[in-house]
Amino acid sequence: MRVVETFGQYVDKLSDDSPRNARRLLKTGWEAQNLKFRFLPEKDLFPADRYLARMMMDVMLKPLQRPENSVIVSVFTPCEILHEAGLYPYNVEAFSCYLSASYAGQAFLQQAENEGLSETLCSYHKTFIGAADKGILPSPRCIVYTNLTCDANLLTFRRLAERFQVPAFAIDVPLQQNEENVAYVAEQLRELTSFLEKHTGMTIQEENLKKRLACSKRTLENYREFQKARSDKYVPSDLVTPLYAGMTNNILLGTKEEEIYTEMLLHDVKQAQPASGKRIYWMHTIPFWSGAVREALCLKREAQIVGCELAQVFDGEFDPEKPYEAMAKRMVYHALNGGVTRRIEAGIRHAKEAGADGAVWFAHWGCKHTLGGAQLAKKRFEEQGIPLLILDGDGCDRSHGGEGQTATRLGAFLEMLGGEAHE
Amino acid sequence: MNKTFYICKYTPIELLEALGADCKNLNEMPEGFELADQLAHPNICGFGKALLEAVMCGRVKELVLVNCCDTIRSVYDVLEDSGRLDFLYMIDILHSGGACSREQTALQLKSLAKAYGAYKGTAFNEEAFRSAFHASRKIKTPHISVLGARMGTELFQMVEKTMPYPVENDTCVHNRTAGTAQPPENMDFDELMDWYAGELLGQMPCMRMMDHTGRKQLYNDPDLKGIVYHTVKFCDFYSFEYADLKQHADMPLLKIESDYTVQSSGQLLTRLEAFAESINPNKDGGKEKKMGKGYFAGIDSGSTSTDVVILDKNKEIVSGIILPTGAGAAIGAERALEEALKDAGLCREDIDALVTTGYGRTAIQDGDKSITEITCHARGAHYLDPEVRTVVDIGGQDSKVIRLDQDGAVVNFVMNDKCAAGTGRFLEMMARTMEMSLDEMSLTGLNYKEDITISSMCTVFAESEVVSLIAQNKETDDIVHGLNKAVAAKTAALSKRVGGEEKYMMTGGVSKNKGLVKTLEEKLGTSLVISEKAQLCGALGAALFAADMVER
Repeated sequence: MRVVETFGQYVDKLSDDSPRNARRLLKTGWEAQNLKFRFLPEKDLFPADRYLARMMMDVMLKPLQRPENSVIVSVFTPCEILHEAGLYPYNVEAFSCYLSASYAGQAFLQQAENEGLSETLCSYHKTFIGAADKGILPSPRCIVYTNLTCDANLLTFRRLAERFQVPAFAIDVPLQQNEENVAYVAEQLRELTSFLEKHTGMTIQEENLKKRLACSKRTLENYREFQKARSDKYVPSDLVTPLYAGMTNNILLGTKEEEIYTEMLLHDVKQAQPASGKRIYWMHTIPFWSGAVREALCLKREAQIVGCELAQVFDGEFDPEKPYEAMAKRMVYHALNGGVTRRIEAGIRHAKEAGADGAVWFAHWGCKHTLGGAQLAKKRFEEQGIPLLILDGDGCDRSHGGEGQTATRLGAFLEMLGGEAHE
Repeated sequence: MNKTFYICKYTPIELLEALGADCKNLNEMPEGFELADQLAHPNICGFGKALLEAVMCGRVKELVLVNCCDTIRSVYDVLEDSGRLDFLYMIDILHSGGACSREQTALQLKSLAKAYGAYKGTAFNEEAFRSAFHASRKIKTPHISVLGARMGTELFQMVEKTMPYPVENDTCVHNRTAGTAQPPENMDFDELMDWYAGELLGQMPCMRMMDHTGRKQLYNDPDLKGIVYHTVKFCDFYSFEYADLKQHADMPLLKIESDYTVQSSGQLLTRLEAFAESINPNKDGGKEKKMGKGYFAGIDSGSTSTDVVILDKNKEIVSGIILPTGAGAAIGAERALEEALKDAGLCREDIDALVTTGYGRTAIQDGDKSITEITCHARGAHYLDPEVRTVVDIGGQDSKVIRLDQDGAVVNFVMNDKCAAGTGRFLEMMARTMEMSLDEMSLTGLNYKEDITISSMCTVFAESEVVSLIAQNKETDDIVHGLNKAVAAKTAALSKRVGGEEKYMMTGGVSKNKGLVKTLEEKLGTSLVISEKAQLCGALGAALFAADMVER
């Protein structure tokens, strides 16, 4: 850990005087990490999840290696059109996570606050803005974002477009679930295609898009099947694997690589041992950096995370033959769109499918939707027989942690879940 | 009859009134959030909590919301679940003003009309609709504008009372312009709703809209003399506009943040008064007093100490006294003044003018005038070293950074928020945890070996971090240095926010802490001027203002 910490300090220091060198150092460090994933993978994880770690690292490196072919996106932006145009997703939330994991996040958070941005703004947004303003992040080809599930997107991405002086496209997703709203979003996605064609010079063939959507459909079905299949199995999990799945299941949806991942999961789960230990379904992001959470849940037989809502945001049917309507439907009927009850019901459904004994509602600092719905979620989950812990913290900013409190709350919750349910 | 409350300028108020509603903007600030915190979470925006509080205490029975932001979206969910309202509705206003949005909004309006009409047992009354439109009433003379996140009634009244100009409330819901143009004649209901949807969406955008370039008109008014920019804790929308405005505004700008409670507003008074002092057109006003013996006094009544400075007619210091404030500001001030007079060999009658400053300034009856410690600190610092352009003052309960011009007048200033992080109290608490005095702490961090980072900014969490570092047998020097770094980082951030420039002077009790001074110098990349009279800076400024009051 000390090596990474020192690395982060170097990146941080360089970012003041020579942002280009800081970026080069960051890229080299991440490439080294990628080599480590290839030659010294985490041996306790399933082959599928080792593949996932490498795939995720590739996703992170692409914007540093080929910024001119990358598009800054929010996590729930449908990326099939981007992939079809040969563009790479350059994801804000994932970059902030990786910067924080590289111990380089604090300086960027401080930079954003120095400029007058609120200290209560979500740290994923603040880290990325701070890093962009310090000049450490490369300029993308363009920016595509949506207000879906997160109102801070409306501000962050617009600010980034001004910072980088690149064109931006916003997808406005209404709250209510109905056909008119699907049509409204589908129309915007068609405009997005024209926008990308205009700014990249590429042509996007609808026939190819249909094939991608068919691939997305198979991938989502595979993943759900895997989640159901794991309900009586022990699938080793660290804290980042569920997060990686949450990211790739959105920004890599429609790619062959992501489909392969879900096929590997289905293969691996068949070989898995019977379930053991307490099983936690996780709502919202995971504070991967927290020693207290790692101590309780990272690769532990006694207790483990069996799913994360970010990887399961749409359960419904869609028709790949109508690709724009299909993507629009995924957005309008997204589990986190509309009232929080929809989100809670999806969480309960997925927790049950994965055989969870309890759930954690992670009240990430700055995420008003998650914070506001916390008590309601506790009531509804518990009415359905799933004990729920509201855990306050921050997925990205270490200064918002209270490690002692986290350890006590999580520890007591696991004790409260009682005997070894699956042993 | 129940009032129908609303919170957002995109609410179709005129339509609701056409259906028999008596609409009112819900804008009162509660005393606290006892009920709201039980239902949601303490870290949602204060206005959202104020809304929950108002409903849960039974004051609101009809509420029409707009999906303004994630907090309001959550508040709607919680209220719907509570079943405490007779009528609750949320309108889904889209984030763009294009033709499709207008069509969708017209549909929303018709759905609302149907739902509200069914609840009330009324039908759309076109005459009532038309009479609900009124011409705009904007201030057309020199004025101050309050911008940003919505400002509660109580805080706005305080701003109005403090400012030297009339004040326009242009925050959030208050800058509504829909409802000012009369609807066209000869339209059926559908056509009218389509026109009305255009009116609602065509208003000057709020920050939740995808394109908000139109907001520039808010600060391009030639009659505008200054801006009070308000943000609400845990509402992040407006900090983006503030960050932009701060770069480009060429007029006096004050940023304040409230948590939407009445108490939090009280704490903003000093900032508002200091801002008013810096823009007051009559600040050099007439000499109010006749010269007597030619002695002037300033009293700085702080939370920890009360300081007094007496100047003679040449503005030379004849006495400077520092005493603990004790139980009450007034008694503490009286005692310190007596002490200073004794020290100078003077009596009360010898003092021609007395100016009070500091937190306790208004509690002291004896003064001729009271001026905020911000204005006084700037003046005092200028007296001590005319080359100083930035004053860093870390006191017991707050820390502030003040930027001044070549004459010692305040150009800009910033204070920490309510939280103790980065103040003298933070260091005091940490010294207690480490079982050392503040004097010991001042020297301890100088010889550190390991560069420890205390990551928590919250005082309570930082304390538990320190306890765990002690448990890990970390060296005391290293821990204290980590704490100094935390305070220095917070202070340097304040300095950046205010655009600090050289020379820097540090005042306040914490300027005696050698370790902290060194760390702060490293953070700022410059050296700090620390005068031996640093602690008297506020009282000195006050005494100088007292001297200004006397005709020579």
